[in-house]
Amino acid sequence: MVRKFSPLLILLILLGAVVWAVSMGTLPRADFVFNNGAEIKTMDPSQATGSPEGRVINALFEGLLRSIPAGEPDALGRIPMKPVARGMADRFTVSADGTVYSFHIREDARWTNGDPVTATDFAWSWMRFLHPETASEYNYQLFYVRGAEKFNAVQLAVGDKVEVELADRKTLELFPRGTIRRGILRELILPLPAENTADTDNEETDAAVVAAISGKAIFVVEFQNESGNTPVTETIAYAVSADGSLAGIDELKQTYTGDFQLSDIQPCKHVLYDFNEVGIRVLSPQDLEVTLNNATAFFPELVSFYPLHPVHRGCVEQYGARRFTKAEHIVTNGPFRLKERRIRDRIRLMKNEQYWNAAKVELESIDVMSIQSETTSLNMYLTDQLDWDTTPPNAMLHILKKRDDFVSTPFLASYFYRVNTSKPPLNHPLVRRALNLAIDKRSIVDNVVKGGQTPAYSFVPPGMNGYQGYQGSGSNVKLARQLLAEAGYPNGKGLPQIEILYNTADSHRDIAEVIQQDWKINLGINVVLRNLEWGSYLDALQTGDYMVARSGWIGDYPDPNTFLDMFVTGGPNNQTNWGNVKYDYNIKMAKSEADPAARMQLFVEAETILMEAQVIMPIYFYVSKNMVQPHIQGFHANLQDIHPLHLIKIRRAGSAVNDSISEDTN
Amino acid sequence: MQLVVFLLKRLGWMLITVWVVFTLSFFLMRAIPGGPLNGERVLSESVRAQLEQRYNLDDPLFVQYATHLWNTICFDFGPSYKLQDFTVNEVLAQGFPVSAALGIFGMTFALLLGMTAGVVSAVHRTSIYDFSFMLLATLGIAIPSFVLASMAIVLFVFYFQLFPAAGWGELRQIVLPAMCLGAPFAGYIARLTRTGMLEILSNDYIRTAYAKGLSTRTVILRHALRGSILPVVSYLGPACAGILTGSLVLEKIFAIPGMGSHFIEAALQRDFTLGMGALLTYTILLYVMNTLVDLSYSIIDPRVVLE
Repeated sequence: MVRKFSPLLILLILLGAVVWAVSMGTLPRADFVFNNGAEIKTMDPSQATGSPEGRVINALFEGLLRSIPAGEPDALGRIPMKPVARGMADRFTVSADGTVYSFHIREDARWTNGDPVTATDFAWSWMRFLHPETASEYNYQLFYVRGAEKFNAVQLAVGDKVEVELADRKTLELFPRGTIRRGILRELILPLPAENTADTDNEETDAAVVAAISGKAIFVVEFQNESGNTPVTETIAYAVSADGSLAGIDELKQTYTGDFQLSDIQPCKHVLYDFNEVGIRVLSPQDLEVTLNNATAFFPELVSFYPLHPVHRGCVEQYGARRFTKAEHIVTNGPFRLKERRIRDRIRLMKNEQYWNAAKVELESIDVMSIQSETTSLNMYLTDQLDWDTTPPNAMLHILKKRDDFVSTPFLASYFYRVNTSKPPLNHPLVRRALNLAIDKRSIVDNVVKGGQTPAYSFVPPGMNGYQGYQGSGSNVKLARQLLAEAGYPNGKGLPQIEILYNTADSHRDIAEVIQQDWKINLGINVVLRNLEWGSYLDALQTGDYMVARSGWIGDYPDPNTFLDMFVTGGPNNQTNWGNVKYDYNIKMAKSEADPAARMQLFVEAETILMEAQVIMPIYFYVSKNMVQPHIQGFHANLQDIHPLHLIKIRRAGSAVNDSISEDTN
Repeated sequence: MQLVVFLLKRLGWMLITVWVVFTLSFFLMRAIPGGPLNGERVLSESVRAQLEQRYNLDDPLFVQYATHLWNTICFDFGPSYKLQDFTVNEVLAQGFPVSAALGIFGMTFALLLGMTAGVVSAVHRTSIYDFSFMLLATLGIAIPSFVLASMAIVLFVFYFQLFPAAGWGELRQIVLPAMCLGAPFAGYIARLTRTGMLEILSNDYIRTAYAKGLSTRTVILRHALRGSILPVVSYLGPACAGILTGSLVLEKIFAIPGMGSHFIEAALQRDFTLGMGALLTYTILLYVMNTLVDLSYSIIDPRVVLE
């Protein structure tokens, strides 16, 4: 029986399965569809990094200020992006010394659930952003605020006001936090530093942070309790402990020789610098006052940067760190709201009718696609499945750049080779300079990358406000040979083989091959290429397991600092084993220099040090590359390659043309 | 009874297989350079320490292994490291139906085309149909699916503009990937059907059927076909496995958010938990398919004894 009908049965099962597969929901195309490149890591502003995340978060959330095209076009006809009070704040003032910013939040600012957006929302979101347990990668962006770094890095000293989070947190989730008690730190008992620890500021800080996390420190805190009219002082010793056990501090208790009784130590979640002491103050529901350490010229840029966008406290506390970003839970305040998210497929955004400027937002729906393959993405663009392609393949640029719908302009990004300055012969500065001079960058740009990029002779890309930068020279084979001879390797004799590391991609290989040839022919150096897939490549960079490595860097904001602070001694992104005291000093001083001209001068000097030491070999400056359908308006090439979605308009042929990007101020 | 014992035995072996796969991949994943916290921007010391604590990456390896194993036994694969808004279970729950739908369409296409071609070839043996179908079948088997996909895109997307280039969400978008996925299997099935059909057609009872005056159509469809597709049925098991693994590449080319995309990305991004989840799902799936094949053998051929 079974045997007789089994073919029939299988056909039936197949038929049923097809019916099931067909019945799965279909989703028609949105008004505006674009490829965002990679799948975003998260929608939580505090956890996000990278431009794909930025595009989505800027559409869903809105900070105090909004970067929009504003002001006069530059020499290339580009309207610069400026952070202006077209976000949650409708006006802001800066004190005369540039250290106090007062933001006024517009009265009609609303969350998608109808709640008003208030100054408290910002204070709470920024507290969460700075909280060490949030582990926000971008948290240093708020370190310009007074006390913020102290709060984040747990840099505590005796006498500081502190907040203790008691170990009564109900869930494992980061937020909501447990009960907070505020007091004064009376004694801080730290484990003795290991003998080989170098005595620099940075490492001390890190040691304190790690100690606080792993529960190896004891904090004695004094509280003032108001019972009736007489203040009662209560002193409690705490040790930070993730799970309530205090095993980590036994040894410390033994070695303690002070006067405080350590018999009753209580576990707690955190002892942090009192957030009320941080320069973020709520003056009224509408008024937020931010006090900085020093005048910081680009602070408005940071305020408009997506990691600083606010999140809804009730939503985060109710659903917890991971679940609050689900479409059915998330509460946002931006021009769009989240409708649906299909992992590694699309994010469907709908216009947010609650948005203060909803009348000016034209797109009703947006599909944010995450298409990994650049070729697939281009195919979809060419067949009108996409309105905007952010990732045209490099191999096609020389054809695409002749098209009218290819929107491209220099932007804030450098393609360069890192040099591991601890690997001989690359520890010799003359060798590094010779290698740099022997590369024909013009030829790489014209014959290999072919997308309109410009050859780079300095690290910081041009276009930074008021920054002239280091003027490097082009390739000079004669000088290169001479320098190599001076370094003791005439005609490359005796020079060990040099290895170029790059992450597996045709575009990187092509460039590496040209450089291999340049070095071989011009200097007589034997060069081998080594490619690694992305994860292994990052690991090789971080562990210093390379000689010369292909690298790239995209600036976060139009200021030289975003490039230059990378190469301070021991900086996590330095990765070259290079350090220079004067360089570090300049970068540090520039953070607090109020005079813009003097500040830029500090950066120029720093870049000169970096380039003359030839820690990196710049290859070219990127251009942004976007394919945008002709019926899309409100899309403008700019230095940061930021394109606010709420300004995009669709004007198909025949309908009225309106290319105005200036918004009237409500 | 025999069937129950067989299934229980298989279940036992499956658990052991899953455990071995889990253990091997757990340690292999951590042996390769790089980790989930490595990114283009290097994390500061304190952020890294916090994240390691959040994901229990700071525990000794064997503690991590034990925790992860226990959670896996409870069907909890943990949070995805690189899709922070989701747990691995949620990612798999979204990805699996997509791959399944693609696979089902590919399989249906392969069966319909393969069997039709096989029957026609057998009936019109050595005709131009036979020759061209078998040539196509050979090509279908020989050409790798990504080459086929490129050719299909040039032809049906750009030249004839019949189908969308990629994406997932409409029925039209399933056609091309399903065809490319099913093509090699259609080729195999066509050859299996043809061989089976030829064998059956030479039997006496077919001659009898003709002699009774039945039309060719009735003879083929009612009498010959049933016997000739038995080899095809037994081929479905390995074909399912092939379709599963074959979709890894096609999902990338056609931007389909299925298991394959998640699996490849997880491996490249060192998303240990998601990689493990996808791997174990594949393991279980293949094991179940193989068991079904063995079962179907015994149904098709009573001489086969389950053990």
